[in-house]
Amino acid sequence: MKLEPGMAYNTKKLNKVFAVLSIIFLFVVIWVVLDDYIRPWKAIQVKAMKIKQEVLNKQLKELAADIKPEEVKKLNALIVEGEKKVAENSKEIKKLKDEVAGLKTNIYAQKLLNGDYNAQVGALTFDYDHTVQHGDEAKAAKILTKLNGYKVQYDDGKEKLKVFEAKLKDTNEKIAKLELAQTGVKKQLEDYTAKQTRLELALSQTEVNPVWLLRNSPFVDFLDPTIKIQQIVVTNAADDRYFQKVPKVDRCTTCHVFIDQAGYETQANPYKTHPKIDTLAVGLNSPHPMKDFGCTSCHGGEGHRVNDFNAVAHTPQNEEQKKEWQEKYHWHEPHKIPQPMFKLSQTEASCVKCHTGQFYVPQADKLNKGRRLIAEYGCYNCHKIKGWEGLPKSGPILTKISSKISKDFAKNWIWSPRVFNPKSRMPTFFGQANNSKPEFMNKNVAEVNAIVEYIWAKSKDYQPVYKYNVGNADNGKALIGSIGCIGCHQVEGIEESFKSGTKFGPHLTGLGSKLDPNWLVTWLKKPTHYNPDSRMPSLRLTDGEANDIATYLLASKNEKFKNLKFAPLDKKIRDELLVGYLSQFDLKSTAEEKVAKMSDHEKTMELGSRSIGKYGCYSCHNIDGFDPDRAPIGPELTNEGSKPETQFGFGIEKIPHTREAWIWHHLEKPSRWDAGAPKAFSDLNRMPNFYLAKEEIDHMVIAILGQVSDYVPLQGQRRMIGGEEVASKAFKTLAKYNCQGCHKIDGVGGEILAAYEDKNEGPPQLMQQGFRTQTEWLNYFLTNVHPIRPWLKVRMPSFPFTSAERNDVISYFQGNAHQQTYVDLPDTVEWEPGEREGAIKLFNGLACTSCHAGGFTKDTPTAPNLHNAKQRLRPDWVEAWLANPQEFVPGTVMPSFWEGGVSTDTEVFGGDAKKQIRALRKYVQEVGVNGYPAPLPKNQ
Amino acid sequence: MKELVNYLSSPMYSFTGTLVLFYFMIQKVHVVGSKKFAKWATLFLAVTGAWFMSDDVFRSIITTPDNIPIIILIFSVLFFTWFSLYKAVENDKRIDQGLEPIEGTPENREKVWAWPNLVYTELFVIIAGTIFLIAWAIVFKAPLEEPANPTWAPNPAKAPWYFLGLQEMLVYFDPWMAGVVLPGIILVGLIALPFIDFNPKGNGYYCFKERKFAISMFLFGWLALWVFLILIGTFLRGPNWTFYGPFEYWDFHKVVAENNINLSEIMWIKLFNTKVPGNIFVREIFGIIFTLVYFVFSVPLITKFWGQKFLDKMGTIRYYILVFLILSMALLPLKMYLRWFFTLKYIVAMPEFELNL
Repeated sequence: MKLEPGMAYNTKKLNKVFAVLSIIFLFVVIWVVLDDYIRPWKAIQVKAMKIKQEVLNKQLKELAADIKPEEVKKLNALIVEGEKKVAENSKEIKKLKDEVAGLKTNIYAQKLLNGDYNAQVGALTFDYDHTVQHGDEAKAAKILTKLNGYKVQYDDGKEKLKVFEAKLKDTNEKIAKLELAQTGVKKQLEDYTAKQTRLELALSQTEVNPVWLLRNSPFVDFLDPTIKIQQIVVTNAADDRYFQKVPKVDRCTTCHVFIDQAGYETQANPYKTHPKIDTLAVGLNSPHPMKDFGCTSCHGGEGHRVNDFNAVAHTPQNEEQKKEWQEKYHWHEPHKIPQPMFKLSQTEASCVKCHTGQFYVPQADKLNKGRRLIAEYGCYNCHKIKGWEGLPKSGPILTKISSKISKDFAKNWIWSPRVFNPKSRMPTFFGQANNSKPEFMNKNVAEVNAIVEYIWAKSKDYQPVYKYNVGNADNGKALIGSIGCIGCHQVEGIEESFKSGTKFGPHLTGLGSKLDPNWLVTWLKKPTHYNPDSRMPSLRLTDGEANDIATYLLASKNEKFKNLKFAPLDKKIRDELLVGYLSQFDLKSTAEEKVAKMSDHEKTMELGSRSIGKYGCYSCHNIDGFDPDRAPIGPELTNEGSKPETQFGFGIEKIPHTREAWIWHHLEKPSRWDAGAPKAFSDLNRMPNFYLAKEEIDHMVIAILGQVSDYVPLQGQRRMIGGEEVASKAFKTLAKYNCQGCHKIDGVGGEILAAYEDKNEGPPQLMQQGFRTQTEWLNYFLTNVHPIRPWLKVRMPSFPFTSAERNDVISYFQGNAHQQTYVDLPDTVEWEPGEREGAIKLFNGLACTSCHAGGFTKDTPTAPNLHNAKQRLRPDWVEAWLANPQEFVPGTVMPSFWEGGVSTDTEVFGGDAKKQIRALRKYVQEVGVNGYPAPLPKNQ
Repeated sequence: MKELVNYLSSPMYSFTGTLVLFYFMIQKVHVVGSKKFAKWATLFLAVTGAWFMSDDVFRSIITTPDNIPIIILIFSVLFFTWFSLYKAVENDKRIDQGLEPIEGTPENREKVWAWPNLVYTELFVIIAGTIFLIAWAIVFKAPLEEPANPTWAPNPAKAPWYFLGLQEMLVYFDPWMAGVVLPGIILVGLIALPFIDFNPKGNGYYCFKERKFAISMFLFGWLALWVFLILIGTFLRGPNWTFYGPFEYWDFHKVVAENNINLSEIMWIKLFNTKVPGNIFVREIFGIIFTLVYFVFSVPLITKFWGQKFLDKMGTIRYYILVFLILSMALLPLKMYLRWFFTLKYIVAMPEFELNL
């Protein structure tokens, strides 16, 4: 085609290109608008409207059953009747209403005038002052005249307004009186159908109508949309953006629409109500209301993101859900998110970051179990964890070990504790997947030999003070089961001890093949004789009892283990290992020279000492020659939950590359990471195998994952109020002696109770103990144990408390119960007229002495001696206890005579429950004796 | 096969391969600049590309939103290079026959109106470009990463794609050289080009034969030392800036043995088996001598064997600037080979003065 002159292209062709491009451009613009407008969360909110409709309709239906049509009919008929009555006075009402209209106009006009007068007064006042200040007297006088004129007008106006308003009120009252026959019934009908009206109103808001469409249409939806992003700004928790710590912004409720509304419990996610809305979180009355804590403070994840399902870093709770999500939401591993959401089963890990200093977090059962396990297995010995400092070493002292067991036993035990005691908490270092090569085994044997030689060389002499005589094993067995041993120990052959599941003390088996009998008897009678810092208390055993128990325990034997012969020390390997140690910072030849100069004994000692250091034995056991505060060998776990995932080495293990999976598999089999290229002997992983059960690992992983480095603002932390902080620190002492192994303290612990069918036969539960007993008495009791409930077979042990520990125990109880240390105790009881007689009548009438027999009758008492109550119990507690014993000891045999504040005795004091209780408390104080009961004799 | 590709992709082999291909291209311009070649090359690229894309790892690297511009870069660079050569070969043939270049024919010298020939078509390009950018922005979401953390940098930490060639240079040079001196020379050199250029031919039309030296030098710097390094830096550098083959999973824990040593250490310890002298100038004397030889004493030799005719035509100042620029450019491949063959870290290493070459 011929082109026009001066043209390189055909214009018509250019126009066509332009048209095509413009049309494409138009489509792209429409595309971008739609892409911006259509968001996943909008679809969810629209569906939520439908669900809400269904739920409301259902509620309306249910409500319809409550609203009786005849009642509505009746009320409507009354209204019609009222209308008739009102109609009789319609003329007068019309006149009055016209009057009202006129008055309202007057008031409106008057208000306008008054406003103007007031403004003039203000302006002229300023003018006058200003003129006077400048000395223009003449002008000032003029202004003053004007000002006064306005003031008068303003005052008049105010008066007029008052008159109009009074008239209006009067007229309105007249109208109301005339219309009363109708309005009263109308109000009744409104009240009757109020709930229905409310629901209908809510229902009308879920309607899709043109207004709704307009409000949510593109471009217009910036004004006042109903479908919009919801957010909670949480100042109690912060997102660490590294340059700045910013309040958390949680937009989860954009999709989890009904999370804070009851009534949607059965809906599928995201439309579900929070399952613990009232007891745990979200609900206004729960401990963690949504407006203060948001969602991600506990659940983790990226709460501010609403792009799509994956942006939030949702974590599936199991493989099944993972698959479901992959299909439904194209779920994939979160990308570039340091802390994804916790698995649902691990959410409790979040508690740790705010509940610092609280060993047990209420409602966090799995976490508490995990932390308990960490304490029981003594993880904190080798791994520093902030907040876990100052706890006692987990293992027994080895400073006098030579008097307790034989060398061969020790060697075999270290090599493989589980062969002797399958439930031992002593972990297994040797014979693991990473050190089972013959070459490594030989070196390990040399190390174990040297360790034992070292410990024996350092071990001090010890002579048991009691002699073992064969006693009655059956009686011993009965004693172990009944006097309280099973609060801490599981004992082979004693069924009750396994019910409690305690792991505080060692599992007792095969002692006949392990211990020197004299040592055992002495230990049972007086544990502090062997170990002054022992946590094992004295149960004040007689010689006979101690021998009976020892006889039973020694009958359990493990001859196979006893007959194991441990390979002797291979001196060549020993020297080789020593050279290895010494040549770390020296030439090999120099190291060899040094070793050659040492005597045989010195060499063994050197290797023993170095091996103890290598395996960290000193962290759990007291060993002479090792500073008790020496740094442990394990890495610190304080921030383990925030350790970047790339810092975990997965070696050749085929497991998910997540923090959680690494910790889990590490606990399951620590030696696994050494698989792969062969490693040198000195580079092997030294973490021993605890042979943990899968369930135990699950719980421990939660506790470890909770150790995050998240920044929590002060207002978000669980702050200790009253004496709680002292109590929380003092709890370590209670944990040290395992008080909660026997006593259920404020609802926690009391494992031993599982062995009792009747809980009242077990150790007493301590609910608000600081409120119950007097401080002086508790202090006396802790060092001078005396019988309170003589019918109980289980014994309160005599613990070797130091004064600091006694302080801890007492301040724990005081602090936890929010109580003062001392309370007012009257010297003499002051009675009101007739009160004492009433008290005695009640005391006899309620037959208190049928149980509290001590000192009153000769019957065997089944409740504490009331004569000692005066010096033991706090008066306020006595009253609270009488009012509702079940509150303090659920399941107690103490009857509730005043249940719900209503007395069973209607005669005394006219049945006034409060007066009756107070009188009884006074009576108990009156009959009380001074001084404390004599303590039970301790073993000397 | 994939193993082999991974192996051959390592910088040493792939860079050498690039050099060979480049040499072939310059020597056989008339082959490369033909439609036949373009067809076969497209076919080859389509087949290998399809095979590459069938690999999960490669596909995940290629389709990362970050890397889209580089894909565009590869195709546009390939096309435009070929296109210019094609045009140049056509014109070269005409010039050999004594004709004027196509751009110089009377019908192509005719003047046309700016409106609508220029302005209207520019509008088309604006609209088409906007369409493309909008569609791109919708289809590939912004590749956002975790919040910036000064104590925990992302690994690998990569510069914007257009700077990845510079970042790749950091492997071989001190940051001061790779980040400041060499880019500075590149900039100054590009500015200086019009003043150095003495060849009046090739203005306004494609050609190769008439500007063989200028075009070869530029394409070498652009293709081999800039675009190629960007490709390496983008696709083949993973965590810890370690090399990963195109089909290799970016395992965070990959360890490579790279113990680089300085020239001084090679000379004093390896060669003379003696201790390294304390005086830094004595210590670095070999490197200093090498540098002087490279930049100063080599110039007369270069002139004698190659540059005499340039010197005659350009005059002294322009000639020496040209030689300096070429030597600076050659420093990069030189250093790369020294690194690969001798694990050489620095020729001159004076960390005392922050001066390393």
